[in-house]
Amino acid sequence: MRASRPAPSFSGMTMSAEIIRISGLRKSYGPIEVLKGVELAFNGGEVHAFIGANGAGKSTLLGCLSGAVAPTSGSIRINGEEFSRLTPRGAIQHGIGIIYQHFQVIEGLTVADNIFLGNELRRFGAVNQKAQVEQSRALLARLGSNIDPKTLLDNLSIGERQIVEIARALHLHPRVLILDEPTAALSDREMEALHEVVRQLAKQEGLAIVYVTHLLDEIAKIADVVTILRDGAIVWTRPARAAPVADIARAIAPRPEGQGGPRHKARLGNVVVSLKDYRSDFTGPVDLDLKQGEIVGLYGLLGAGRTDLLESLVGARGHAGGEFRLGGKPVRIGGPDAALAEGVALVASDRNEQSLFGELTALDNLLMPHFAGLARKRATQISLFDQMAGALNLSPRNPALAGNRFSGGNAQKLVMGRWLLPDVGTRVLLLDEPTQGVDIGAREDLYRLLFRFAENGGAVLVASSDPAEIVSISDRVLILAHGRQITLLEGDFHEDEIVQLAHQSKSGIGAPRAHAAAAE
Amino acid sequence: MSHANASPVANGKSATSYGALFSAAALPLAVALLAIFFYLKSPVFLTLGNWISISVQIAALMTISIPFAILLMAGKVDLSVGSMVGLSGVVAGLMFPHLGIAGTVIFTLGVGLAIGLISGFLVGYIGMSPIIVTLGALTFMRGLAQWLSPTPLFGFPEAFTYIGYGQLFGLPILTWIMLAVLCAGVYVMARTPLGRHTVAIGVNERAAYLVGIRVKLTVMLLYGVVGLGAALAGLMTIARINSAPSGTLGIAVELSVLTAVLLGGIPFTGGKGSLLRVALGVWLLGMLSNGLILMNVPTEASLMITGLVLVLAAGLDVLRTRRG
Repeated sequence: MRASRPAPSFSGMTMSAEIIRISGLRKSYGPIEVLKGVELAFNGGEVHAFIGANGAGKSTLLGCLSGAVAPTSGSIRINGEEFSRLTPRGAIQHGIGIIYQHFQVIEGLTVADNIFLGNELRRFGAVNQKAQVEQSRALLARLGSNIDPKTLLDNLSIGERQIVEIARALHLHPRVLILDEPTAALSDREMEALHEVVRQLAKQEGLAIVYVTHLLDEIAKIADVVTILRDGAIVWTRPARAAPVADIARAIAPRPEGQGGPRHKARLGNVVVSLKDYRSDFTGPVDLDLKQGEIVGLYGLLGAGRTDLLESLVGARGHAGGEFRLGGKPVRIGGPDAALAEGVALVASDRNEQSLFGELTALDNLLMPHFAGLARKRATQISLFDQMAGALNLSPRNPALAGNRFSGGNAQKLVMGRWLLPDVGTRVLLLDEPTQGVDIGAREDLYRLLFRFAENGGAVLVASSDPAEIVSISDRVLILAHGRQITLLEGDFHEDEIVQLAHQSKSGIGAPRAHAAAAE
Repeated sequence: MSHANASPVANGKSATSYGALFSAAALPLAVALLAIFFYLKSPVFLTLGNWISISVQIAALMTISIPFAILLMAGKVDLSVGSMVGLSGVVAGLMFPHLGIAGTVIFTLGVGLAIGLISGFLVGYIGMSPIIVTLGALTFMRGLAQWLSPTPLFGFPEAFTYIGYGQLFGLPILTWIMLAVLCAGVYVMARTPLGRHTVAIGVNERAAYLVGIRVKLTVMLLYGVVGLGAALAGLMTIARINSAPSGTLGIAVELSVLTAVLLGGIPFTGGKGSLLRVALGVWLLGMLSNGLILMNVPTEASLMITGLVLVLAAGLDVLRTRRG
């Protein structure tokens, strides 16, 4: 059972009890100040959306609350008790629970074992399985879930794992629950279920919820209060009613005046890529004529085969059949090195795992495939870097800084910039989730770069799970579901349309193929 | 200016960290302290003559350690180098009567390169575990050497053994070879695409592949170069001792090489490191064995100390990784 704590008498519009107050919080890494005197309060019974671009200092602030980061100065008051710094253990003891973006639950253990991992209930020295299962069942029921505590975590969907993660945090009786981008990996339905759980934890149980998200349209659905962090300082805190999406977007990344919509106006040229009945290991058949100057969006749910298709086109995965013509002539690309020679480049998804050389310098990262070619001489390397850093609006513009010290957006600029250097000869750019974990400001830079590439005759195939992004940058949209091409949309298309097509097709195209999930 | 933005962290790591400073200074400090210690025990230690003799003693080890270190920067390891030293010594010894000196040297280096490339093919293209493949090669080549020549070979051509004791411009030829290998290694890592590609593979092999680096080919080549280095080291060794005992030649050299390379600060997982530090690591081992001999420490104790230094070096590796 949950320990009975004095629940704040909260009802709708009245003042709610303050649980955490952050005062004058500063954090510097060497000479770089990441948090510049943050003032913020989290109240019981409220869902507090906490928004900021990558590099705004969000992770550092959350780190201060979880005890992972020691602030340079300032204080954190929890229920009236003041701390100049927290330890991870102390944070938990004082009622701070955090659900990280990357789940901490472990496959191979049961749900109950996961919930009690590190805090096992004991009986005569051994783990008391029975009690753990019972308490897990009660915790999960509180979250409106009937997941069997005895089932292995391996059997659960992403959404269910998230619930287990929350149950795990709840059994430590938090007063504050921090969720770091909880919906990043969830389907729409799972997202709604999560919203319901979160609302209930706030309204029924009086928890203070800190909700970090990149999805702006989520805020109106879930939040009571919105705080925007930019460059290590709070821009504003407002009731969610008084924070329309447009205001939020402007606060995150103030856009210079006089800039039009992002949709580009490139003149279309010859067909560069022609796919006829093309099949990769899991995906296809796909039919597509991609022209010079064209940006085609590739939309589908997780597991629809987007990654599989893109990686197959550069030879990093199998090509099972059908035709792939490049500039009219049939090609058979054996691997990324051969693709490079043909002017076909892939910027893979999951930057840290697949594109970035974290410990290498920015210069190495930008020029990596080209040292044997156009970046042979040291002087050329420097001038290429300076030139490209300017075009990319890279920040900081430091060639010697390690790749993993850049924010997500700037790291993405480096790994995308590789293919956009002058004289690389990229004809076709394949992008897999190019703006994942990239803040709005850097997104604009990346789009601008993409449009310029298209205007100069390049062809782009870009996969994204953000329908708004697809709509805003694509000339046409190819929709995949379960490895099949559903349709190729042209002309006027809208977000709801493509989302619907990608979802609707689930039952519409026959039995789901079991291996499609392995394709992503 | 464009670079002014983040100049305080220009080196990627924070310059203020004492831990980083310690791990950077530890090896040079250890070399200096060890030198002082041996000097106090035996004044002969700090003479030019003794240092030149140390350089001759470590020449073969250095010749293997440099390519080995480069391979390790790509995150791969070759445990067969000791047997390669033995095999190449035996092969050379058998071939002198047939091929002459130049022919024998070329043939022996070719054998080393070829066997290295085969290991590299199995690791790079087939995707086998480097440890298993090269342990297999270690055993296979030792067996092959002993089968080819059950009894020790000796009495090599005079012109060949001159390499082992002769001098050039005041330094032993072996020392020159060692310096040449070191310079070549430093040049490759600092200035060539191969160097960049090698580190890229060590840092993120998947990204290196997707970016269009020919990872499999690069890995195979690196193994080939290690085989070549080990064969060269074998030739240097038999030229110096003027015999090639198939059972003991090059035995356990892989452990010394691993110790030197780890002392030199290359993490076992690869991705970074400095060849000059590796050279310092080799030098430390050379000093250690030289000093122990000068102090008349029995061989058994020397072995124990060498083993301890390997574990110590691996421990330093763990400490560095935790900090990083």
